[in-house]
Order: sequence, then C-alpha cells, then structure tokens
Amino acid sequence: MNPFASRITGNSWVIPVLLLSLVLGIMVRMAWVTKDTVRDRSRYFSPDQQSRVLASFQNVQDETAAMNAEIAKLREENTKLQNAMGEGTSQNKILNESLQQTKVYAALTDVEGPGISVILKDGKPREGIGDGEIIIHDVDVLRLVNELRAAGAEAITVNNHRVSGSTSFTCVGPTIYVNGTAVTTPIKVNAIGDPEALTSGIKFPTGVVTEIRSADESMVQILTLKNMRMPPFTGSTTTKFLKVPTQPK
Amino acid sequence: MILFLLGILVFALVGALLFTEPIRGVGAQYVAIACLAGFDTVCGGIRSGLEGKFHNEVFVTGFVFNVAIAFFLAWLGDQIGVPLFLAAALVLGSRIFTNLSLIRRFLLTKWQDARDRKRSQRQPGTST
Repeated sequence: MNPFASRITGNSWVIPVLLLSLVLGIMVRMAWVTKDTVRDRSRYFSPDQQSRVLASFQNVQDETAAMNAEIAKLREENTKLQNAMGEGTSQNKILNESLQQTKVYAALTDVEGPGISVILKDGKPREGIGDGEIIIHDVDVLRLVNELRAAGAEAITVNNHRVSGSTSFTCVGPTIYVNGTAVTTPIKVNAIGDPEALTSGIKFPTGVVTEIRSADESMVQILTLKNMRMPPFTGSTTTKFLKVPTQPK
Repeated sequence: MILFLLGILVFALVGALLFTEPIRGVGAQYVAIACLAGFDTVCGGIRSGLEGKFHNEVFVTGFVFNVAIAFFLAWLGDQIGVPLFLAAALVLGSRIFTNLSLIRRFLLTKWQDARDRKRSQRQPGTST
C-alpha cells in the first residue's frame, strides 16, 4: 500500500515534489564545500564564516600531520630495505648508492648541514604604513625560497615542512599553506648551504628581505646556524599523468 | 504526512549520493545559490499542496526558472562586481522561512482540529 495515498488527498503533488527534491539533493551535493573546493569558495564567505569553515577543515590537517609521520616512517624503512639489498653484491651496492643519491636530490631523506634561518613575522601597525605591508604573504615566502635557491641553497624547509620540487605556497584568508598544510607566523625558512653566500644572496636591494624590512625592520631576522637537521618531504609522490617514454629519442 | 516529509529527506539524500563529486571553482558558488532557490520552490510546493492549490506546471517551471535565475544573478553579480548573490540569498532565505512557517501553521491547525473533534466526540458522554 502506498503510505502517502491514504493521508494526502488527491496526491498529484506528492510525486513532483519528491522528484524535484531528488534534483535538489544533487544540487546541494554539487555545491557542498569540501577540503578540495574550500580554496575556490572561501572568497565568497563572510569573514566570520571564513574562520569557522576553515577551522572545520583544521581536523583534516591533524590527520594529514599523522599520515605524514607515517609516510616518513615507511620511507625510512624502505631505505633500510634498499640498503640491506644493496649489501649483497657490488653491482647492487652501486645501484643502491645511485638510488640513495636520487632520493637525497628529491628531498626524500633526512639531511643536515650548515646554513641560515630566516624568520619572518608580521610587523606592528603604525601610521603611514598599510596593513598589507606589515603582513607576511604567501608570495613573500615563495620569493624568499626562490632567492635562497638562487643563492645556492641545497635544502629548504618552511616551518619544518621540507620544500621539494612539487611544493606549493598558497593562502586562504589569513593563513599561508605549504603543501596544503597551514602554517602561521612567525614563518621560519631554513636553508642548508654556504651561510655567507645565502645571507648575502638574499640581502640585495630589490629582494624580498629588503622590501619587507623597508616596511618594518623587525619583521625579518636572519640567523646563521652551524648545523641543522631537516625532515624529508612527506607529501604525495604519486603521479597521474606523466609517463617515462619507453622509446629512445 | 510525517512519512511524506521523511520521503523528501530520503529522496534528497539519494540525490546527494547519486552525484558523488562536488564541483570545483566558482561554479559551485552559483549552484549553492541555485540550491536555495530549489529549496524555496520545494517548500512552496509542499505548502500549496497542503493548501490544495498545487499546480504541477507552476511548480515545475517555478523550480527550473528560480534555479536558473538564482544561478544567473550570482554569475551576473560577479561579472559586474556587485554582490548580487547576497540579494538572492536574502530574498530566498526569507521566503524559505515564510513557506516553512506556513507549512508548520497548516499542520498545527490540522492537528488541533483533529484533537478538538475527538474531544467533542467524547464530550456528549461525559457531560450528561
């Protein structure tokens, strides 16, 4: 028996309403804000909504941190296994050495060495300086990383997130994201390399350090470190589109 | 009636599960406003159904047109730099409230009528 028929007289309207609520369900799903779409959507949110919605995705970041730790552990075990295999014959040894070198280059291992640490923090508001100028933006971090690389940095971390070939710097509202993980000021950019070369390499007149310092001297701090240790890159290394050609050129 | 309202929820959920991937980019924002229009029309449909004034053509065209207009307004607002989606959200939001409160009052009246009828049926036996 149709449960609707007994209660609703002349139920010609029940079916259309039900069908269009199905369509409505599809539409709501299409417009749902998820982790992947939150970045495109956040500019439409009102400021308080922005902080609430972004905070609800914060849990995802805790999960991400836990998974990153797991990835680091598994990759380390992988290295151990590769080393164990490489111990057998001299051929295996050479193969493994070149494999480990490649992994160092791809930022997939712990590294240590001398270098510098650049600490960026928001300045204090004062007369004659716009708010935009005393805030550290994603672009500032991006430019600093680029300038460090140009100055010969061999490995870079941003707030202890290792910078690899696929690292991105973006922002959602007031938060800067490194590889999709939120970081907050003070932002600590560490670089391994010749400390003197790195320091002079980022202090040129049109560089980002000079630019930020012109707004507020206290926003940039540069430290020289004799030795520092960096964690490996823990983001995804899976590729979807690229293939290595099998035919020789 | 409760079954029917549950049915609407179930249908909406089925619809949500049929379409698994939220769309990317600003298009989703326009669809979000269109959702409000769709929700408003469904509420309006239930209301007119309860009031016995339901016309299928009016309902279906209302759904399609309201959704399209809301989508278009949100898009146009972006093109000319005016937050028109706010206007759509405001108007549609208040209409949803009106429709839902009318549905509630209608159901409440119906329920009270039924209760009064029961009472009056019982009364002749007790009063005499």
